[in-house]
This record gives sequence, C-alpha cells and structure tokens, in this order.
Amino acid sequence: MQPQFSKAEAANAPTGAIIHDDATAKWFLVSSVAYFFIVGIIAVIIAAKFVWPDLMGTMSWLTYGRLRPLHVNGMLFGWLLAADMGLAYYVIPRLCGVKLWSEKLGLATAALWNVIILGAVVTLLAGLNQGWEYAELPWYLDILVVVAWIMFGINIFMTVANRKYQAMYVTIWYIMGCILWTAFVYLTGNFATLFTTGTNQANLNWMYVHNAVGLIFTPIGLAIAYYFIPRASSTPLHSHKLSMVGFWSLAFVYVWTGAHHMLHGPISQWLQTISIAFSLMLLIPVWAVVYNLFATMKGQWHQLRESVPLKFLMSGVVFYLLTCFQGPMHSLRTVNAIVSKTDWIPGHAHMAVLGCFSFFAIAGTYYAVPRIWNKALHSDSLANWSYWMLMIGGLGFFTTLWLGGFWQGWQWNNVSIPFIDTVIALKPIWIVRFVSGLMMFTGIVLFAYNILATALGNPEEAAV
Amino acid sequence: MFKKADNNALWAIGLSLVLFFIGGIITTVVPPLVDTSWSKPFENHDPAKGVTGKLVPLNEQQKKGRAIYVREGCWYCHTQQIRTLLADTKRYGWRGVDAPISTPDEFVYDDPHMFGTKRTGPDLARVGGKYDTQWHRTHFRNPRDLVKGSIMPAYPWIVNNPEEFNALVAYLQNLGRSKDWRPANDYEK
Repeated sequence: MQPQFSKAEAANAPTGAIIHDDATAKWFLVSSVAYFFIVGIIAVIIAAKFVWPDLMGTMSWLTYGRLRPLHVNGMLFGWLLAADMGLAYYVIPRLCGVKLWSEKLGLATAALWNVIILGAVVTLLAGLNQGWEYAELPWYLDILVVVAWIMFGINIFMTVANRKYQAMYVTIWYIMGCILWTAFVYLTGNFATLFTTGTNQANLNWMYVHNAVGLIFTPIGLAIAYYFIPRASSTPLHSHKLSMVGFWSLAFVYVWTGAHHMLHGPISQWLQTISIAFSLMLLIPVWAVVYNLFATMKGQWHQLRESVPLKFLMSGVVFYLLTCFQGPMHSLRTVNAIVSKTDWIPGHAHMAVLGCFSFFAIAGTYYAVPRIWNKALHSDSLANWSYWMLMIGGLGFFTTLWLGGFWQGWQWNNVSIPFIDTVIALKPIWIVRFVSGLMMFTGIVLFAYNILATALGNPEEAAV
Repeated sequence: MFKKADNNALWAIGLSLVLFFIGGIITTVVPPLVDTSWSKPFENHDPAKGVTGKLVPLNEQQKKGRAIYVREGCWYCHTQQIRTLLADTKRYGWRGVDAPISTPDEFVYDDPHMFGTKRTGPDLARVGGKYDTQWHRTHFRNPRDLVKGSIMPAYPWIVNNPEEFNALVAYLQNLGRSKDWRPANDYEK
C-alpha cells in the first residue's frame, strides 16, 4: 500500500505518497466543533429551566419550547452530523487510496451546511416549527438539507468508484449505507409526512425519528469507530466476518422499529408487536459490532492510558452496548408502561447521541485534526480533562435521569399521587442533571478550545 | 451474496437498499392500507357500542389556537394520548369518570400530529372542558400562581393578546371531546 499524508504533512512525505488536500474535512470539522460549543450553551440553559422555570422567561424566543428544538437540531445536525461528515471526507479518500473526488464540491457542501444551520437558528427561535420532532425545520430548509446530502453523496460515491483498492473496508459500507438510508429516511420524515395526517403521519414521523438515530448516526458513527479504533491502537480489526454480520443485520432489522415510540398508544397492535420483535433483534447487530471492537482491543487495553482518542472510542463502545440494551428492553410492553414518556427517555437518548456517537466523533476529531494541520495537539492534558469531564458529567446525567425516570413512572402508575407531586419529586433529579450538564459543557469547552487552538495555533508547534 | 458486496460497490448499494425497503414498506406503506381506522373519522351514535360522539374538523379559531400550540412547542412537554394503561384512563379522567382510551380515528384531521413523547406536564388528550377560561388566563400568565411547584413557563405574550389567547383556549377546550365521555361534568354545566 502507498503511504498517505495530508497536504500539511507533504514536506515530510516520501515520493510517490498520496497527498490528501483535506480542505473539506477542515471546514466541516471546525464549524461542527464551533456549533458543539454554541449549542452547548443552549443545552445548559434548558437544563437550568427545569430547576428555575422563570429563568429568561419573559421573552418568547427564549422559552423552553423554542430553545429545545434548537438544542436538538443544533446538536444533531450542526455538531454531530457535520462532524461525522467531516470525518467521512477524511476517512473515505484514505481507505480508497485516492484523493477526494472534488474538494470544490466538498467546500460548497460545507458552505451550504452552514447556511442551513444558521437558518435553523433563526427559524426555530422565531417559532417557525413544523411540529414534528427531529423534523422541526421548515420545508425550505429541508430542501437545502436534501441538496447538501446529494452533494455529499455524489462526492463520496465518486471517490469510492475511483478507488484504488478493490476490497472495501467495513467503514466504506457503513458510510455508503448511511448516505442511502438517510436519503429515504429523511424524505419520509420531512416530506412524506406533509401528505398525511394523524396516526398515519405519526407512524412516518417515528419511522424517521427512530431511524435518524438508527440509520443515520449509527452507521456513520460505527464507520468512524471501525476506522479509528484499529488506527489509533495500530491493531488490525478482530474479524471481517463479524463486521459483515453486524452491517447486514443492521440493514435489515433497524427500519422496522419506529412504532415502538407509540407503544400502548393510538396505533395498531400488530404494528406495535412487530416493532417490539425487531427491537429485540437489534441485539444481533449491536453485539456483533461490540464484540468485534472489544476483541480488537484484546491485549491492547493498556493503550487507553496514553491515548485520548482511544479513551473516547472505547467508552463510546461501552455506551453503545448499554444504550442498545436499554432500547430493546424498554420496548417490552411491561417495561414501557413504566418508563415511556418519563425522564428515562432523555437519559437514554443522551447516552446514544452524546455518550456513544459524539464520543466517536470527538475521538475522530482529536485523531484527525493534528494530522490534517500537521501540528501537535495543543494540549494533551486538556484533552484528558475534556474526556473526564464529559465522562463523569455524562454518567451523572444518564444515571440520574434513569433513576428519576423510573421513579416518575412508578408514581404515574399510582393514580392516588397527584401529577404535580410527581413534578415536585423530580426537582433533586433536575438539579443533579443541571450540575452534570455543566460538567459536560466544561468538557465541550475544553475540547472545542483544544481543537481550535491546534488548528489556528502557531506553526512552531508542528509535530515531528 | 454478502461476500460479493466486499468488492462490488453497486452490489453493496443494491443489497443494502433491498434489505432496507422490505421493512420500510411493510411498516410505513402497508399499515394505513390495512388499518382503515387510521383515516376514518370517529363516529358512533349507539351507546351499546361504547362511548358516543363524532369527530368534526376544527373551526378557524381552533385551528389558529392549534398553530400557537405548535409554535410554542407545548407538545415537547404535553402528550395527547390516553394509552391502553389503567393508570392513564384513571389519572386523566375527570370527577370519577375514566378517560376513554385514545383511538386513531380521533386524530384523523390532526396535522401536524401532536401525540408527543414526553410528559414533563400532564397529558392533554382529554383536557377539553375541564378548566374554564379564567383558570387558563391565570395559568398562562403564571402557572405557579395556580399550581405550586409547576415548572411550566409563563406565557404573558399570549395572555396579553386576546385574539391569540382566545384561539388557544378554544383549541384546548375542544381536545378529546369528539368522544362525549362525561356529558354532565363539564365546567360550563
């Protein structure tokens, strides 16, 4: 295999090496890290509103109902998906052994993505909300998302088509799968819903919401884990066959489960039962992936001590295992009757999106940014702190919300307790959530500062 | 079959789409075709068959109120579904009458649907007729004046705009009343 280097590293590269431009990856990574910080502020504010409900409550555009969709959309699309796309632009050319098909198209995609996110901030604060979870953005921004996604897809698929290595590593399948499935899932959740009403619309909405996590963030997140875990530990992947089991079972199983968001609700029983059965089957792709990644680290766990990317990656795998064990379990009717609609659900959702997929994206960013800019990471010690703040804050957040949610569910099931008493009972939980949120936010600040200081810092800090 | 996808990108693309569409079509396209209650508005005049009533589309004022409900994100904290759980029917009942379970035929005109996923506040599927206009005015101005310990935001800009306030209350008073489940117990009576 030919050696591969980034443009900044070209001076030290041997002749005949493949030099990657990485301009698109740079723009996506830098803007996503900036949004991670900005939207983090909103996250802290809405956590505070649970404890002090009158906080910033006199202006319509700062109420909980306006800030929450901004938090969700900003984190999902401004930070996580953009970071994932940036890493895809970094990883795919390297796995294919060719340059990215078009850096110009890539830069245009990055610019358009920023227009979309800024548009989302304005429209959501103004209350221009479509009324569907994860699909709050008005239709004109949805169209721009589709255009940007097609531009992303063309660039990736053309790079894959031009690849030098015939055999495709598992990361390439996952990113291709993500691009294809996302296209249909997004169209279902944002456009097909326009032509339906009531339960029919809700069913499409939940198909989208569930698969936004399952078929957008899961495949692109796992693509990143599959690439960076062997890379960061210099260890080959444990089993190619097992990665195939994981990928192809994911492709088949995930899409069936949308209706488990409406268990016991006004939707057909047979559809609920199907969604439960397939939710349980999710254990197959999850355990195949988790075993494969753990087995890759066999005998290599000591490397976690020195490597921040590996710390994030392997913690992300543990959270993936946990969150995807919770998912099937609380889709069981009996468990669902307790935890559904409670604070358990944000605890679960944050473990998936922050604890797992954001940890993967953070790890990839920590690994890729010094190489793209050919500089040493600004501070290893700050990077370590960012990990521990996110880890401890995250664990505090997840576990208190699970306990609180379970408790809340038990109280709701005892109809002699007035509803307001179940609200008052949760106040201590929300205080801990706010404090954990502050810790997580500190971790985000340290991460964002470290990355930006590396990218913009002095060239003297150049790595050897 | 799967081995071939290792080296052949088109094969990988085709296979992942085929596997995806099996479940995709069975769970999104098929259900509304099989379950006609998803699109047929609720109507029952025979007490022997259960609770009576008829679903009618919202009037202009109620629609305006619904748009405010969507705009302010009320649905992030309030669900609109009485689930098939005893606790739901009891808790959201009124003056000794259990709330009827929500059925798809009650939501045929809902766009966007407002089923919701999170109950930071109570469910509103059957809230219509429970509290009078003055209660709602005080409550929207500052929920904590009426319900100590509530964490709902105050909405002074709605209360101070009579058109918006009346529209929103008109929408809320209509919620869940296509099923005529407690004719003698409304606040108006």
